Amino acid sequence: MKIFYQTFGTVKKKFSGLLNRFFKKKRTRIGIYGPPNAGKTTLANRIARDWTGDAIGPVSEIPHETRRARRKEDIIITGANGNTVTMDIVDTPGVTTKIDYHEFLEFGMEKEEAIIRAREATEGVAEAMHWLREDIDGVVYMLDSTTDPFLQVNIMMIGIIEARNLPVIIVANKIDLPDAAPARIRSAFPQHPVVAISGLEGRNVEDLYETMIEYFG
Amino acid sequence: MNKDMPHKCTKCGREYKDGSTEILKGCESCGGKKFLYVKEAEIHKDVLEEKTIDEIAEESNEEVLEIVEPKGKKQVEMYDRVESIRIVAPGSYELNLEKMAKTDERVVSVGKEGSYIIDLMSMVKEEPKKKRKK
Repeated sequence: MKIFYQTFGTVKKKFSGLLNRFFKKKRTRIGIYGPPNAGKTTLANRIARDWTGDAIGPVSEIPHETRRARRKEDIIITGANGNTVTMDIVDTPGVTTKIDYHEFLEFGMEKEEAIIRAREATEGVAEAMHWLREDIDGVVYMLDSTTDPFLQVNIMMIGIIEARNLPVIIVANKIDLPDAAPARIRSAFPQHPVVAISGLEGRNVEDLYETMIEYFG
Repeated sequence: MNKDMPHKCTKCGREYKDGSTEILKGCESCGGKKFLYVKEAEIHKDVLEEKTIDEIAEESNEEVLEIVEPKGKKQVEMYDRVESIRIVAPGSYELNLEKMAKTDERVVSVGKEGSYIIDLMSMVKEEPKKKRKK
């Protein structure tokens, strides 16, 4: 009898593994995209912490802190009405059209370190764009509400995401700051849902979770 | 050479030798951008007969040349670029996101213009991946 339970156990394990593999497609892979310093990693950390208890990566005020895409798998988000969605969150390096190491020198970085950071950031953008093409089912596009949303890079990226027919939620982040203007972001991208949050303080993130379930579920 | 016909600025009447490259930047005196071919014999007609250059143009049936400055040159620079990454200087990069969004193939340009590095490996990698997907 004991042997039976043991084999039953392993069979069950194998079977659930098979099932998982079979239903793998149901899991949505969500990429967090946006310009450098929009708060992508802060949000990714908050999502991971809220639903799994872990963190994804370090944050910094110096642009291009995240230079490799980082992934957290099997995050299950549950909405107020009990709906759930299982997703992999991919935190991507900030996407920009120009990277210059001089920008990092202002933060007190040594020249050599800054040059290496610039090179890694460039590779990071290439990697982020690669993920967007190959592996992403939906996009959370992060913007800093204190800055101008009509930057060429934002218009270009939203265009690229639209061309790939990916669902996108635009996050107007940093509403904890006094000069935040999330309304400006709403008027810039009226064709997409815009959720205003503070990733740092966690303000209004529940709203974002509900929107994610609605659009990515 | 009697074929040799000087240009005349239609705005101020200044003359330039045929084929002179100065006019490509516009008239040196007034900055005018329109020039007329005038026969050597008729070159002072505007002064002697008090005619405007437009009238001379009508009489001689010559076309007025206009220097057209290339428009939207900057845009071409941004969007029709062949490279996905431009290395402006060590540690300074310009990224062509639209190119990157389309393909993993990497063409890197070095310096200001016309010098490229083509990553051949990035161009052959694609094939087996696609097969696996199917």
